[in-house]
Formats: sequence, structure tokens, C-alpha cells
Amino acid sequence: MPQIEVDRLCKTFRVPEREGGFWPSVRSVFRRRFRDVQAVRDVSFTVEAGEIVGFLGPNGAGKTTTLKMLSGLLHPTSGQARVMGHVPWRRERGYLQRISMLMGQRSQMQWDLPVIDSFLVQAAVYGIPREEYQRTQAELVELLDLGDVLRKQVRTLSLGERMKCEICLSLLHRPAVLFLDEPTIGVDITMQARIRSFIAEHNRRRGATIILTSHYMADVTALCRRIIVIDRGRILFDGAIDTLSARLAPFKVIKIDLNRELDGYDFAAVGTVLSRQDRKVVLRVPKGETAAAAARLLTDLPVLDLTIEDPPIEDVIARAFADRASAAPEATP
Amino acid sequence: MIRVGRVFAAYLRAGVGVMLQYRGEILLWAVWGLVNPAVLYAMWSAAAESNPDATAAGLTRGQFAAYYFVIMIVGHFATAWDVYEMGYLIRTGRMSPLLLLPVPPIWKALADNAAYKLTTLLFVVPMWLVFAGLVSPEFDTAVWQLGAGSAALVLGCLLNFLLGYVVALLAFWFTKLDALGEVYFGLGMFLGGRFAPLDALPPPIRWAADVLPFRWMFAFPTELLMGRTTAESVALAGLAVQAAWIAVVLLALRRMWSAAVKRYAAVGG
Repeated sequence: MPQIEVDRLCKTFRVPEREGGFWPSVRSVFRRRFRDVQAVRDVSFTVEAGEIVGFLGPNGAGKTTTLKMLSGLLHPTSGQARVMGHVPWRRERGYLQRISMLMGQRSQMQWDLPVIDSFLVQAAVYGIPREEYQRTQAELVELLDLGDVLRKQVRTLSLGERMKCEICLSLLHRPAVLFLDEPTIGVDITMQARIRSFIAEHNRRRGATIILTSHYMADVTALCRRIIVIDRGRILFDGAIDTLSARLAPFKVIKIDLNRELDGYDFAAVGTVLSRQDRKVVLRVPKGETAAAAARLLTDLPVLDLTIEDPPIEDVIARAFADRASAAPEATP
Repeated sequence: MIRVGRVFAAYLRAGVGVMLQYRGEILLWAVWGLVNPAVLYAMWSAAAESNPDATAAGLTRGQFAAYYFVIMIVGHFATAWDVYEMGYLIRTGRMSPLLLLPVPPIWKALADNAAYKLTTLLFVVPMWLVFAGLVSPEFDTAVWQLGAGSAALVLGCLLNFLLGYVVALLAFWFTKLDALGEVYFGLGMFLGGRFAPLDALPPPIRWAADVLPFRWMFAFPTELLMGRTTAESVALAGLAVQAAWIAVVLLALRRMWSAAVKRYAAVGG
């Protein structure tokens, strides 16, 4: 039985709006104008225990809104969800006790106190027995290399240090389900890699189910075998990360290396030229025409090397969003 | 219940820790709590001395001193500010981390409230003693009045905190409540007897003070502690009114909280 079940979940926000400037501002005092924004539309998916699922999408796609509903922060407009058998927005203590949501842009710590004080409050709030708390804290502090910062005031920490502390705080009660909303936002590449490897290690050791949103593709490719791509509140793709290209990108990338430079050859007649530098040319061709295009290039040109690849996952997703944007120019907040 | 006690104790320790980071601010808040009653005492004592019988609203200068001395202490212990704080938490999305916890945020608010009151005692107690030394309050308080008054003080603190929290929950609907906070604070000052003893108010306003909760937060414990409420039956009736108000407010809190979290929009991040 899946640990997370989401069935046709919808969330519509009613947001006030007005034109910019002074008079529209005065008019809005007497006559408010609202607009319904469908942040999440008919989203359905399931997640098995122990899975790490990446939630991908541009800003305003509905990723965080979905996570907020699953963590019990938001009530949906319609639809159903169950996490470990609980309806999240009933906010039962037994449910909140077993989950954690880390919001990369939102601190959960006591800003004016040393880090360790936030940990102690968290232990009391979750009723963690003393020995278990000490064991878990020691383990997390070692894995995240937090020994030097435990006694530092939270507001004096660097962003990377604070993010590591926020992660540690979120895991002290050993949640069975973890919602990570942009856990590496704003931190440098080294720290991103460290946080990623920690999340993977935590999943391996504890078997926690993790749903992760991130704008950094490296987070998703490093941690998730399965991704859910969401845009304008709808799911575009749900499946194994290595099948994403096949589903969303009906094209391949051909890279050729010539044994001499050619000026007159019309590469555009074979496919879209993505780059051309000295004797190296990269082309994008429709998937169904890949074999014919490769054969033509090999016949026409002095080719030293030719490779056919799936396009990079970033390009696939960027193109998928761009195609949808041009097809239906409707904005979400 | 034991668990809630542990959570409250942990929040209280953290709250005291936060307060102690800002010692200058504690001092300023302590002074703020002293200025208002001191000024009002000066006005009323001057009014009493200018009258032929040396009283105003039935109180002598020394009784005014006792009234404002006690209401200064009651005001310190009964103060609550969630009606200002809640809108800020909701507008900035800072309520979200609190709502993710398995303990309702009201426990943190209550612990922060208690932490403020305990920490500021370091500064306000000497100020109270200096004030008392300067104005020579006249008390006529029996032991039973001191006991009943202390119980009334605890219930008054609880009532103001809980009612303030219920009003603060309106921020889930209206987002910003600063103006409503001022109205609530003003009603507490006026109908709670913090501007003037309730006996000094005209009958219709006195009646409003009796039926609204503010008198039971401030004036009722003050009158008991300074020995002005002389009948034991009146004291008991007052304690019963306080308990009834707390019960009503707790019921309202329960309903409002469940409606409020359904409306929460979790803005920002």
C-alpha cells in the first residue's frame, strides 16, 4: 500500500488584484477586485514507503502548494490525500508527529538563541526521550559536521550553516515522511553536494519517504529515481527520471567531430544547429529522423566521431515548459 | 498534560533566553509599564487635593496611590500582545513553521508571555518599590482579600491572554489587525479601569464595564488587592464571573482555531 496517496487534489486561491498607480489604489478602497488562481489542478500520484520523489517545475507551478497541503498547512479546494493513513489537513497530532517539512526559505529556529537551544525545544515539542534525542543529535551533528556551530547564535550563522542546522532540526524526531522544499536554495555548490549526500544517506539509513522540490537539477538527478514534473498546477510527467526524455522530448542530439572545417555545408537542412565551434557541431533532430540524419551526415561529411544522445534533462524540462507557455499563455502567481 | 507541561517549560526557558539577549529593551518596556499609571495617579491625586473633601471618585490621595500602584502590577502581569503579533506572523508566513508542529502555537505564545513577565520583574520590582516609596499608598487589605485578589489576578491574566488570542485569530481572515489591536487595548484601558477607577465613570459606561470582560481582567483584581471590595459575596461572585468568561472564551477559541487553520493561506515560500 502506498505511503502517500493523492487523488485529484485542487487548490484555488482568491487573490486581490488591481492596476498599478494612485487612482487604482484609491478605487480599490471602494471596490475590491479578486481573481481565482488555480495553483493546483487535479493532481494525483502515489508514493511508496522509502521512495525519494523529485517535484520539478518552474516558479508558481504548484509544487510548494502541493507540499503545503500534504503537510497539513493548507486545506485543498477539492480532492483527497492520505499520508500514512492520515488526512493531512485534519492536522492530527499523531500525523504531525511523524512528518517534517523543511522550507528552505523559512527558518524554524529560535533566531536569537544558540542552535542547541532550538534543538532542545524541538526535543520537548516532539516528546523525544532523552537517550534517543542525544543519540540522534550526535549522529546528525556528525553527519552534517555541525560540531562547531551548535553554540553559535542562529542569526550569526552563514546560510549554509543555517540550512544544515534546519535539516538537523527537522530530523531530530526521525520523521517517517519528509517534505523538503528547496533544501539547497542559496547555498554554494560544495554545500549543495554535502546536503544531497546527507539526504541520500538519511533515506538509506532510516528508510524515510522523501518528496523534494528544487530548482537545482543536480539535486534531483543525484537523489531521485522518480520525478514528477508539474506546471501550472498540472502534472506533465510522473515516472523514472531516465524515461523523461522519451516522454517529453521527441528529439535526439547528434554530436559530430569533423576531421577538417567545412564552410559551405547546410547543417540546418539536417536538423536544428545547437552549437558550432571549429570542427565540432551539435544538432537537434526529431527522434524519428535520427537514423536518417546520422546516415546523411556520415555520407556527406568527413566525420571523425559521431554520437547520438538524449538531450540534457534541463533542456527537456525547459522545452516542455516553454512549449506549454506558448500554447496557453495563462499565468499563475 | 505532563507532555504539555514539558513543552511549556521548554518554550519558557527559550523565551527567557530570548528576553535576556535584549536587556535594554526589557528596561524600556518596564519604564513603559510605569509611565502610564504614574501620570494618571498624578492627575487624579491633584484632582482629589483640589476638592474640598480631598477626594475624587470617592478616593483619597493615598487610596489613588494604592489603586494605581496595584493596577500597575496587575497591568504588568495581565498584559498580552498577540493581537498585534498574529497579523505579523500570518502576513510574513512565519506562522507556517509553528503550524507544522504537533503542539498548537498558543502554547508558545503563552510561554513567551510568561517569559516576558518573569524577565521584566528584574527591573519592574525596584521601580514599583520606588513608586510606592514616593506616593505612599494607603492599603486596607485583609488576608482573605489578598488571597482572593491573587486568585482574581491569575484569572484576569488568563482571561486577557485568551481573549486577546481569540481576537488575534481574526488575523487569519483580515491579515492585519494593528488597528483592532489599538481598539482592544483602548477598551482594556478604559473599561478595565486603567485610566480611571470605574466608580469615576458615568453609569452607562459603568454598566458596560460590568457586562464586558475588561473589568474582570484589571479592575476587579485591583479592587480586591487594595481592599476596596469588602463583601466576601461580591468577591466570590466576581471570581465566578471571571471563570465564566474564561469558559466562554475557551469555547470561542476552540471554534475559532479550527476555522482559522482552514482559512490559512500559508503565504510566502
